[in-house]
Amino acid sequence: MIHFRNVSKFYPTRNARAYIFKDINFKLPMTRSIGVLGPNGAGKSTLVRMIGGADTPSRGNIDSDLRISWPLGLQGGLQGSMSGRENVRFVARINGIRNTSSIECEVAKFADIGRYYDEPIRTYSSGMKSRVAFGLSLAFNFDVLLIDEVTSVGDATFRKKSQLALKRIRETTHVIMVSHEMKQLQEFCEAGIVIKNQNFVFHSCIQDAIRDYQETYVKL
Amino acid sequence: MLEKSPNSSVVAYYLDFLVGSEYMSNIVSRRTSRQVMQDTISALLTRELKVRFGSKRLGYFWALAEPVLQASVIAIIFTILGRSSLSGVPVALFLLLGILPFRGFTKASTQLATAIKANKALFAYRQVSPIDPFITRLLIESATYLVVYSLLMIALFWIGFQVIPEKPLELILINLFMLSMAAGYGLLLSNLVLFYDDAPRIISLIHQPLFFISGIFFVITMIPAQYWHYLTWNPLLHFTELSRDAMFSSYKTPVGDWLYLLTITICLWGGGLSFYWVNRHRFLAS
Repeated sequence: MIHFRNVSKFYPTRNARAYIFKDINFKLPMTRSIGVLGPNGAGKSTLVRMIGGADTPSRGNIDSDLRISWPLGLQGGLQGSMSGRENVRFVARINGIRNTSSIECEVAKFADIGRYYDEPIRTYSSGMKSRVAFGLSLAFNFDVLLIDEVTSVGDATFRKKSQLALKRIRETTHVIMVSHEMKQLQEFCEAGIVIKNQNFVFHSCIQDAIRDYQETYVKL
Repeated sequence: MLEKSPNSSVVAYYLDFLVGSEYMSNIVSRRTSRQVMQDTISALLTRELKVRFGSKRLGYFWALAEPVLQASVIAIIFTILGRSSLSGVPVALFLLLGILPFRGFTKASTQLATAIKANKALFAYRQVSPIDPFITRLLIESATYLVVYSLLMIALFWIGFQVIPEKPLELILINLFMLSMAAGYGLLLSNLVLFYDDAPRIISLIHQPLFFISGIFFVITMIPAQYWHYLTWNPLLHFTELSRDAMFSSYKTPVGDWLYLLTITICLWGGGLSFYWVNRHRFLAS
């Protein structure tokens, strides 16, 4: 359960506050995986970042007693000047794991990027970055995994591997996933959220969510 | 069809074959917020030390060598001018007591000013809050300063200087005072750095002329009393004055004022903390 209490998020613009979310009161059940739908700029990433604690609501608060991962996205998270291994070590430490050598090995195996593992992240391609980031977040026993379009950049091997991994942890870990690929959402999520009118609508079935999204936003 | 949705045991077997069976089982335990902060700061410490001193082989060496070189250049100039002692104390010790707190203050405050911004990418992790890298750098700067200070004093003692302070407690206190003022000032500056990318450059530009008016190569009694008020507003002058007062029995500072330093420190901390609180969301946002 993720509890939204009076959550508002706005960004100051030249004229007035641009509200992305306004006064959300909601208890989001985390008994199944959830796909987040909305057009560009609706606040999908912001929502996921707020759930992950990487951003804070302008008003109100979000709390939960689940173990939630950091938002696994294309930007942020991994520090460019550090190597993949050092990033892994750092994240393991801030999660309270003192002995980091086994986790370093496991992520190296999953990422499978060879000697680049010990090179600075800024020399990585975006696919390599997401291999490390994804492998790293899968190494812990999180209850909720926040995924912000990270699986879409990988090659076939990586996609296959991450699909297998997500399936394996299905019973214990649920994902909150942002994606524009309906097929991917259908595959991994059972429920869905559609962002509209500075609020979100929860559908307990992903098909309903996709239909709602298409009716609201997709006009040709 | 098996490809699309294999049953879970097949998935588990194939994945274990790829990455090992212990994978995905690293326990994230529930911790109190104090433990989280401790773990985060210790992780940041390791990281920061590696970046600071690890990349340059001579990182630790320069921390020691810089103030020594600076002192020796000025000492040589003084010697050429024909003075080997000032107010009856050896030039080298006199200069170090000015240079060390001055450099300590400017170094620590500029490092602290950029601490939050430099670690922005790490705020993606909920465990890392903006104050954590600030505290980390404060610990590093304080420890480096105190170690460099003590090592230089021991070295001078070994060479044969009289370095036992006249009032040791006051000397320790003035240095701790200097560090806490640098911290408050650094916190205030980090708000400036948040809004203006060029702020660090401007800050170091402002620090440059302070070198000449902070009593590094003079004491206030060498200057006619009617001009003192042009210099005594500068808290750095009070640090050097009070340091020498505490070290040398032959020098009594007429201007060094503990209460003034305390007032400035409280104001800087008050301002720094208030602005930090007001801007706390902006520090997080990328």
